[in-house]
Amino acid sequence: MSDQSPWAIEADGLGKKYRRGWALQDCSFRLPAGRICALVGPNGAGKSTFLSTATRLVQPSAGSLRLFGVPVSDPAVLQRIAFLAQDKPLYPRFTVAETLRMGRELNPGWDQALAERIVKSGNIPFTAKVGTLSGGQRTRVAFALAFGKRPDLLMLDEPMADLDPLARHEMAGLLMAEAAEHGTTVLMSSHMLSEMEDMCDFLLVLSEGRLRMGGATDELVPAHSLVTGVAAGNGLPDELSRHHTVVESRVTGRQFTALVRPGGPLSDSWDVQVPGLEEVLLAYLRSPQAPTLITDEARFDTPVAGRAA
Amino acid sequence: MTTDIRAESRPRSEGHTPDMSDTATGRTSGGLLHGLPWLVWRRHRAALTGGIIVTVLASAFFVYEHFAVVDLVQQYGSQPGERASTKFGNDFGRIFRVGAGLLTFLPAIIGLFLGAPLIAGEQEHGTIRLVTTQSVSRARWIVTTLALPLGVVTLCTTALSLSYWWMWVPARSLAFTGDWLNGGPFDITGPMLPAKSLFFAVCGIALGMLLKRLLTSMVATVVFMAAFSIVWDRVPAHLAALRHAFAPLEHEVLIASDAINMDSWVATADGTFYGIGTCLESTEGATDACRAKMGITQSVTDYFGFDQMVGMQWRGSAILFALTALILGFVAWRAHRRPL
Repeated sequence: MSDQSPWAIEADGLGKKYRRGWALQDCSFRLPAGRICALVGPNGAGKSTFLSTATRLVQPSAGSLRLFGVPVSDPAVLQRIAFLAQDKPLYPRFTVAETLRMGRELNPGWDQALAERIVKSGNIPFTAKVGTLSGGQRTRVAFALAFGKRPDLLMLDEPMADLDPLARHEMAGLLMAEAAEHGTTVLMSSHMLSEMEDMCDFLLVLSEGRLRMGGATDELVPAHSLVTGVAAGNGLPDELSRHHTVVESRVTGRQFTALVRPGGPLSDSWDVQVPGLEEVLLAYLRSPQAPTLITDEARFDTPVAGRAA
Repeated sequence: MTTDIRAESRPRSEGHTPDMSDTATGRTSGGLLHGLPWLVWRRHRAALTGGIIVTVLASAFFVYEHFAVVDLVQQYGSQPGERASTKFGNDFGRIFRVGAGLLTFLPAIIGLFLGAPLIAGEQEHGTIRLVTTQSVSRARWIVTTLALPLGVVTLCTTALSLSYWWMWVPARSLAFTGDWLNGGPFDITGPMLPAKSLFFAVCGIALGMLLKRLLTSMVATVVFMAAFSIVWDRVPAHLAALRHAFAPLEHEVLIASDAINMDSWVATADGTFYGIGTCLESTEGATDACRAKMGITQSVTDYFGFDQMVGMQWRGSAILFALTALILGFVAWRAHRRPL
């Protein structure tokens, strides 16, 4: 049965074409259940498009997408996911209690006690109209609605974008606590890695509609080295580009700096440092021609050989 | 079908903390409605309860006035004459006119304030992404979203149409100078009022869904309804075959007081019609000579009999119902297939 699927998300060649072109193209990866995953990329990279296909808001134009083994075209997946859109839409004229009642009326697995606990811990009166709440309070009610559904996969589109630092900290704590308690897989998008770096143990990077990087954060970073050394003439030393995968490089005067995926031991004549996660991410985003990096764990194995690089 | 095994062990709503009062969570309120119907009702609660209250009051008023109208007709007769017409005009003229005026505008009000915002409101506020990502399929969502408000519209407009009809029929020759076709009754009684209301409602819904903005779709709905009404004005006169009444020239053609005089002609004995001005010469002699020459011997009046009214209403409604069904199908298809 699908409950046994170890993969929260399996995307195979997923694509979405709008009239203006492909918003998401040839996207193949899998996300193991139980992970907290950041979906990162600049604006217009396809993050929202991916979340929309995973929440059945749009139909993919190509490829397939399974959530816990269930094809996303099957309405049954709706019971296993919860989605928090960027602007956290709620009915402004509903009271908080009515908003929770909506969750109860529309979801067979609804957990009223959990939803009430989340609302109460924010000291939000149940009789208050949603339209009168502050941004942080509204977000808390939206979280309560999402968690009350008891989803196996919680997807959040830019969850922290419009929150002040205090509310952001509070929501991050709430999210991590609830996800840990219930073993929920979380996928959240952001164009700022820094705000989710501490929370996430899995990373998916999209750029221009394509998946550039995917895998556990503790695998992705050690796969890279930040190398500094003496430039050969006006470019990188031949040895560097021949034996290692150069993601991004810069030559200043007689010195070069490069972010590489080492293909073997690096020369002793260079200064080698371990880059930060953000440095790696920015390097990939700045270099569209750099080869895609999908770790084995995140790679969707298809019978077709030679898919993801 | 994915059944959630964890659901059994989960603390369900029954297990909520005891210090929460039931009224605070809204658990005991709402009564009859559950699931999606509850949500749709709650969203449109103000409009729907308002509509139902107005319907009950107005229908009760029309029913009450029916008995007063019957009293007047028994006392003064139902045929137009100086006494009956004056008495009717004084006692009921305003009630009939105001009632007809309100019911004439009712379909437009429904289209504007219920139809246009129905889906556009959800799109503009983004709540469509909230409601369609709960555990209900989009097909069920669109069916409930459409069926509940349109069901209430059907019930309310049917009640209003029947009660107004009941009030009007006994005095049909007195009210609106007997003109049921253009005076109002044709459009606001029988199946016409529900048909037009549903049609304008679904037009508003469809425009709202396509335009996705509340104000834009309301403006577009008003423009559409105005344009449609101008076109539709020509339709009722084609919904039945005209009848002809004949009389010798110089005699008045007699038709029933509740029939609608549509046109007048002069005709020859073998039934060739000429315009009413044919052979009207400056002198009587010339007129007679011309008529004799052309063989014109009788006057003709084209009319619709009152007994044709219901058939005409059903034919008109059938057109509107068919258009409504087409648009509803489009809305359901698009909501189901396309991103909103």
